[in-house]
Amino acid sequence: MSNSEDAHREDEHRKLQRRTFLAGAGYGLGAIAAESLLARQARAAAIGPRSDRWRGVIEAPHVPRRARRVIHLCMAGAPSQFESFDWKPKLKELHGQPFPESLTRGQQLAQLQNSELRARGPFIGFKKHGQSGQEISELFPRIGTIADDICIIRSMHTEQINHDPAHAFMNAGSILKGRPSMGSWLLYGLGAETDNLPGYVVLVSIGRSSDQPISSRQWSAGFLPSKFQGIQFQSKGDAVHYVASPEGVTAAVQKQIVQEVQKLDGMALAARRDPEIGTRISQYEMAFRMQTSVPELTDLSKEPKHILDAYGIKEPGDGSFASNCLLARRLAERGVRFIQLYHRAWDQHSAIETDMPRAALQTDQACAALIRDLEQRGMLDETLVVWGGEFGRTPMGQGTGRDHHINAFSIWLAGGGIKGGLTWGQTDELGYKYVKDGQEVAVRDVHATMLHLCGIDHKRLTVRFQGLDQRLTGVEEAKVLKGILA
Amino acid sequence: MIWLGRGTTLLVAVLAPVLGLSTARGTPAPEPRVLRPVQFNRDIRPILSGNCFFCHGPDKGHRKADLRLDVRDSALADKAIVPGKPEASELWKRITTKDPDDVMPPPDTHKQLKPAEIERLRRWISEGATYQPHWAYVPVRRPSVPAVGDATRPANPVDNFVLAGLKERGLEPSPPADRRTLLRRLALDLVGLPPAPQELAAFEQDRGTNAYAAQIDRLLASPHFGERMAVPWLDVARFADTVGYHGDQNHNVFPYRDYVIDAFNRNKPFDQFTIEQLAGDLLPNPTTEQLVATGFNRLNMVTREGGAQPKEYLAKYMADRVRAVGTVWLGSTLGCTECHDHKFDPFTARDFYSMGAFFADVKQWGVYNDYSYSPNPELKGFSNEHPFPPEIAVESPFLVRRALRLRQEMGRTVEEAGVRLAASRDEQAAYRAWRTTAKRFLIQHPNGWQPARLLAADAMPAATPKPAVVSEPPLVSTAENTAPQESSPKGRKSTKSAESPASLSRRIAPPVGWLAALRMDLAPVVKPKEPGVKWSRKALRRVFVSAVLISAGKETPLDFHFADALRKEPSYRNGEKMLGIVPGWDVPKLEAGEVASSVWELAEPVRIADGDVVRVTAQGEEVASARLFTSPFAAFGSGLAPSPIADSAKGMPARTPLAAYLRRAVAAPTGSHRRGLEEVYLLSTGWAKDEARRLREWARDVTRIGDGRAPSLFTTAIRPYTVRVLPRGNWQDENGEVVSPSVPRFLSATISGTAGADRRLTRLDLARWITARGNPLTARVLVNRVWRHLFGTGLSAGLDDLGAQGEPPSHPELLDWLAAELMESNWDVKRLIRLIVMSNTYRQDSTLRPGLSEIDPGNRLLARQSQRRLDAEFVRDNALAVAGLLNLEVGGPSAFPYQPIGYYENLQFPTRDWSPDRDERQYRRGLYVHWQRTFLHPMLANFDAPSREECAADRPPSNTPQQALALLNDATFVEAARVFAARMLEDRILDDDARLGRLFERALGRAPRRDEASSLLRLLGNHREHFAAHTDDARRLTAVGFARPAGGLEAAEHAAWTSVARVVLNMYESITRL
Repeated sequence: MSNSEDAHREDEHRKLQRRTFLAGAGYGLGAIAAESLLARQARAAAIGPRSDRWRGVIEAPHVPRRARRVIHLCMAGAPSQFESFDWKPKLKELHGQPFPESLTRGQQLAQLQNSELRARGPFIGFKKHGQSGQEISELFPRIGTIADDICIIRSMHTEQINHDPAHAFMNAGSILKGRPSMGSWLLYGLGAETDNLPGYVVLVSIGRSSDQPISSRQWSAGFLPSKFQGIQFQSKGDAVHYVASPEGVTAAVQKQIVQEVQKLDGMALAARRDPEIGTRISQYEMAFRMQTSVPELTDLSKEPKHILDAYGIKEPGDGSFASNCLLARRLAERGVRFIQLYHRAWDQHSAIETDMPRAALQTDQACAALIRDLEQRGMLDETLVVWGGEFGRTPMGQGTGRDHHINAFSIWLAGGGIKGGLTWGQTDELGYKYVKDGQEVAVRDVHATMLHLCGIDHKRLTVRFQGLDQRLTGVEEAKVLKGILA
Repeated sequence: MIWLGRGTTLLVAVLAPVLGLSTARGTPAPEPRVLRPVQFNRDIRPILSGNCFFCHGPDKGHRKADLRLDVRDSALADKAIVPGKPEASELWKRITTKDPDDVMPPPDTHKQLKPAEIERLRRWISEGATYQPHWAYVPVRRPSVPAVGDATRPANPVDNFVLAGLKERGLEPSPPADRRTLLRRLALDLVGLPPAPQELAAFEQDRGTNAYAAQIDRLLASPHFGERMAVPWLDVARFADTVGYHGDQNHNVFPYRDYVIDAFNRNKPFDQFTIEQLAGDLLPNPTTEQLVATGFNRLNMVTREGGAQPKEYLAKYMADRVRAVGTVWLGSTLGCTECHDHKFDPFTARDFYSMGAFFADVKQWGVYNDYSYSPNPELKGFSNEHPFPPEIAVESPFLVRRALRLRQEMGRTVEEAGVRLAASRDEQAAYRAWRTTAKRFLIQHPNGWQPARLLAADAMPAATPKPAVVSEPPLVSTAENTAPQESSPKGRKSTKSAESPASLSRRIAPPVGWLAALRMDLAPVVKPKEPGVKWSRKALRRVFVSAVLISAGKETPLDFHFADALRKEPSYRNGEKMLGIVPGWDVPKLEAGEVASSVWELAEPVRIADGDVVRVTAQGEEVASARLFTSPFAAFGSGLAPSPIADSAKGMPARTPLAAYLRRAVAAPTGSHRRGLEEVYLLSTGWAKDEARRLREWARDVTRIGDGRAPSLFTTAIRPYTVRVLPRGNWQDENGEVVSPSVPRFLSATISGTAGADRRLTRLDLARWITARGNPLTARVLVNRVWRHLFGTGLSAGLDDLGAQGEPPSHPELLDWLAAELMESNWDVKRLIRLIVMSNTYRQDSTLRPGLSEIDPGNRLLARQSQRRLDAEFVRDNALAVAGLLNLEVGGPSAFPYQPIGYYENLQFPTRDWSPDRDERQYRRGLYVHWQRTFLHPMLANFDAPSREECAADRPPSNTPQQALALLNDATFVEAARVFAARMLEDRILDDDARLGRLFERALGRAPRRDEASSLLRLLGNHREHFAAHTDDARRLTAVGFARPAGGLEAAEHAAWTSVARVVLNMYESITRL
C-alpha cells in the first residue's frame, strides 16, 4: 500500500471517530435537557457540514488494489467482432456460402430464426499494430495506436441474445430485475472519493445511428439503497435532474434557502434526535455543492484546444461520444468511482458496411485519446477502462448486416493493472464460438477481474437479499483472469 | 447474555444514516434481560439457515456429505447432533475446531459463526436440541392475549402483546403523541393527505372519548383511503403503464388501478380481492369489474423486441408470475426454485413449475409482434404502436365525468361568444349575412355537400407533395413503421404523371365564401395482375391526403383539424387507438376495391375569393379517380348541434342530420337552436378566434374520450400449453418432467380441497387455496405488510421472505393474533387497520428517548412510534395539498406532471417525448403519475419508488442529495411554494407573524416555535430586500409552473414569501410523518 493511501485511510479513520463522537454526544448522554438553546444550535451547526460521504464496506482491500475507478465504454447495440478485433480470414473465404450446420444446430438465434444461414465475411481488413502486433480492423486506426496499452479479449460469451436482458446481464450479472449494476456494487464496496459529485455517473452520447433503447435499470442500484445508483447526466436541459436553481433564484439566494433548511432541521435534530435528520442536513450540503460542481465539471470551455482536438471534439459539450470521453476524464479526476459511457450505435442488422464505419468514426479517436490523456496525467495506472458491447454479432449474414450472437464477441480492457499488448482467448476459425482453451471468458469472469483489480474478492462483496447472500458474479463459479493482469 | 453488545448497537446507530438507509430499520429486537430458554425458531434456525442449510438443507441436488440439518431425525441419525451432549455432537466439534480443513462453515464461504452464536448452539444442544416447525408454515392459531399488570393501559390486545415484550426488557412505552401530531400521522397513513387546519383545530378541541375513533372512521370512509392503500398494492402487483422490456411501450391498464382503489374503498374482503385478481375470469358469469381485476396476471413485463424468441419469453413471463404470487401472498422467495430446489425452505423446482402451470392458460404472446422470422398470425400487421391484447373495454367514470365537464366548458364558451356577438352591431350584421347564405346553400345542397367544380387536371408537381401539417403528432412516428419496402410502389420515382398510381391531385374552384370542410371519395383501379409487380393486387390500401390553397399565386397548405373515413383500419399511437385519419389511413384489405370516402375538417375555415383554387392530393397505391365536395359548415363536439363526426360511425359521409338541423335552426334561430347555430357559425367562420381555438381543442379531447370506455389488459383463458420442469431454468431444455398445476407440496397437506382432485386444477383453485383458512402464509403476509405501513417496519422485517432466511417476527404471537383476527373477520382489511391504529402502541409519541435508541435502534420493541419519511407519491401530494393545488379527483388515466426535458431520449420503438398536462390533470395525485418502467419519473425514483418491473414488497427508504435537489428545484415543488405563498398573502390584514403561523399550520399542522419563527422572519426580511432590488427575478420565480399567476400581488413580496414556503416545504418535518 502506498504512503498516500495509508495517510488516506488514517484520515478516514479519524473522521469516523469524530462522527462517532458526535453521534454519541447526540444520542447517548442524558444531559440534553440541561443544555441551552445556544449550545443545541451550536451542535446542530457542527453536525450540519460534516461529511457523510460513503466510505464503502470494504475496510481493507482483500487483495492489492490496482484500480481506483472504472470507466466503462459501453458500445450499446453490440459491435461486430469480425470488423473490430477478431480477424477471420477463413470466414472471408466462405463469404456467401452456406454456413456449416454442424456449428449452428440447436443453437439459439435471434432474427435469423427460420432463415437460411450463409456466411458473411468481414468487409474490412485488419492491420497489426504496435510492438505487440495486435490485430485491429482498419475501422479503428486510432485504437490501433494504443494497441500496446490494451488487452483484447476475443473469447467473450454471454447468455442473453436480446439487447435488454443482455445489457442487464453485462451490468448486473443477472437478468432478474432489481439487481445492482456493477457500478453500484463498486460504489457500495469502495465508497466515494468525492463529496461534490455522485460516485457513479452515466453518460449517453447523442448523434449516433442504429440506436437501440436502453433502460435506466442498467445503472440501477437494485436492492442496494438508491444512493448507489448511477446518476445519468443528460444531454438536454440540466446535466443532472433538478441541479439548476429555479428561475429567478440566484446562487446566493439558493444558498440562503439551503442554509435555512439546514438550520431549521438542526433545531429538529436537537429536539427529536432522529439520526435521519442529521443525514438530511448533510445531503442538503451535498446537493448544494452539486449545484456548483456539476456546471463547473461540464464546462469544457477551459480545456485547451490541443486536448479538444486530440479527442476530436467539434463543439465542447455537444453530447457527442468524444465530448463525453473528455467529461469522463474530468469525472475521473474529480473522484467519481464508476463512469459509464453509452454509445448506442452498433446494432447493425442491416447496412453494416455503411453504418459500422460511421459508428467507428464517432468513437475511435476519442477512445484512444482518453487512454492517452489518462496516461499523460498519470491516471491510467489507477483507472480501469473497459470497452465492449453486450454481445457479439453472427458470422452469418442477415441481409446487409449481422444478427445478435452470444457465443463469441470481443472486448478490450486497459489501465488499472491490465497487461497491455495482449490478445486473450480465441474463437474457432469461423468465429462462431469461443475456444475452450482455458482463456474463455464469461461475463462473470470480467466482473470478478474488475473487482479483483479494485482490491475486492468477488466472493466477499455480498449483500443479503431475499434470503441469499447476493453478489455481482452470481452463483456460478467465476474466475479472475490472472493471465491478463500486469 | 446480551445478543447485541453495546458496541455493535452503537455502530449500527452511527453507520445506518451514513449508509443512506433509514435509521436502523430491520435491526432485530434486542434480547430480554432475563435468560429465556432457547427457542429453535427464534434463536437457532436463523443461525443454521444462514450458515449451514446452503449445503445441509432442503436442496438435495447440492447436499454435502448427505447430511441435512433442517430435519431433526436426519441430523440425529448422522450424529451431527447428540441431544444433551454438545461435546459428542459432530456439529459442535466442527464449529469449534481450529483445524481449517474441518471447521464449519468452511473458510472459503467467508462465513464465520460469532462466539454468541456458537454459545447459543451449545445451549440448544444441551437443552435437548428441540426443533420447531418453521413458524410461518404452521397453521395460524389465535394465541391467548397476555395479561399485563396495569389494566388501564392497553387500548386493545395489540397493546397487551407489545407491553408484554417491553416489560420483559424493563422498558416503558412512550407517552401518547400530541393530538395534532397524531391526527397528521393518522391522515397521512390512512389517506396520504395532511389534515386541514380546521380538522386539526376541531380534533384538538374535541375531548370526547370517541373523538379519535371518529377521526379513524372518517378517514377510513374517505375515497382517498383507497388511493393510499393502493400504492403498496400497486408495488406488489407490479402495476405500470409500460411493458418494461426494450421499447418499453405503453400498455393499457389504468382501469386495474381504479379497481384496486375501489376495492380498498369498498373494503372488499381480501379473499375476494385475491380471487378476482388471479381468477376473476373463471368465476361464473364474471362481471366487468372481475375481469378488470385479472389485469393482475397481465402486469408482467413483456417484449416485442425483434429477435426475441416467443418460447423463451413465455418462460420468463411464467417465472415472473410464480415469483409474484410467491411474494404477494406467500411471502416466499419462490424465485430460487426456477433453477433448483430451494436452499433454505422446503420448496422444490417441481413446485415452481407446478405453480407456473396454473398460468399456462393465460392468453398472451411471448413476443408481441409478427416478424417474418417468427410469424404470429394473430398479431398480423402489428407495429410498435399497437396495444397488447387481449384487452377489455371498460367504462371509466373519470372519463365520463371529464367529457361532461368539457362539454359544459364548450357550452359556456359558445355562450360567452354569443354575448360578444350580441354586443357588436358589425358582428350581428356578418352573422345575419352568414345565415342568409347558409339558408341558400342548404336549399341547393340538402345533404350539406356541394359537388366541387373541377379544373383541368394538374400537371403533377415534380416533388411528391407532403402530407398536410397537422397539429396532432403524425400517425406514423417511427422509422420501423414506415411502409415496408415491398409495399411502396416501385414505379413512383420514374412516373411523374398526374395519374401515377401513387398519387392523384385535383384542382377545384370552391364557391366564393367560407370553406370549412372537404369530402373526398376515392375509387381504386383494379388492374389486371401484372407479373412481377407485387403492389398491383393491393388496390387502395394506405392513403394520405393533403390540400393547398392557391390564392393570387400564393400557395398555403391547409391544416386539418379532424378527418374521418368510411373504410379504415384502426390505427394506434403507442398503444392508444387513434381517432380520425389525419393525415392518412389504411383501407381494410377486404374493402380495398370499394370507394373510400373521407371527410376533412379544416383546422381553420378559409374565406374563398373569386379565382382561388384548392389543390387536393391523395397519395396512395392505386388511387384512380376522385370525387370532391366542399362544405361551408363545421360543427364538432359540444353536442349543441349534431356533429358530422358523430355520423362517421354510421354511414359518413352524409351530413344529413347536421343539414337538417341547420335548416331548422337557420329558419328559426331561437330557443335551443340559437346556441347550436351560434356554435356552428363560430366553428365555420372562426369569427372569434380564441373561442374557436378553445372549442376545437376541447372537441378533440371529447372526441377522444368518446363514450368513456377505455381498454384494459385482462385475462382470457385458452387451452393451457404444456409446462415442463426446466432444468436449471433453461427454456431450451425439453428433458424436464411435464407438470400439471399444483400448489407447493409441503403446504398442500394442510389444506383440503386441492390435493387429490381428479381434474386439472385452475387459477381459481389456486386463489381459493391461497385464501383458505388453513393456509399459514397469506394472512401473516398481509398483516405484516399492513404493520409496515403503520409502523415503518414489519413485525418480521423481511416483507418478501417469511422463510428460514427471513427474520423471525419480533412479536410472533401478535402477528398470529392479528392474522387470526383478519381471517375470522372474513378478511376485513379496514377492521384490521382500525384495530391497529386504535392501539396505544400506534398512538405513542415518536421522539427518540434518551437511552432507548442504544437498546433498540430499530424500534422493534415499539416503545415509541417510528418517524417515517413519506413515500414518494405522498411527498408530492403533501406539497400540492398544502399549497392548495392538489387535484383530488379519484381514478382515471395516468397523468403527466412536469418532468425534465429529454428524459425519454433513450427510448425508441416508438420514440416519444413527454408533454406535461396543461390543465388540472397536472396536479393529480402521485399514484396517477405515468409509470414508465425503464425511465420512472425522476422525482418518484429519487424518493425510492420501485420501477415495478418486478413485484416489490418493500421500499427501503434512502436519504440522498437527489431528494434535496428535487424538493429544492423541481418545478412541481417550486410552483407549490409560490402558490402556497400567494395563498398566505391573500388575507391582506395579517402581519408577518400571523402569516407565518398560518403557513406552518397548513404545512406542518402546528405553530412555529419561537426560534423557527425568528429565523424565518429574518430570511423573509433579507429576501424582501433582495427581490425588491431584483424585481425581474421576483417575477420569474413567482411565475414558475402552469398555475394561474396570483393577481394583484407585489412581485417582491410574493417572491420573499415564496422563499419562506420553499424552506418550509424542504424541511425534514414536511416530508416526514412523525
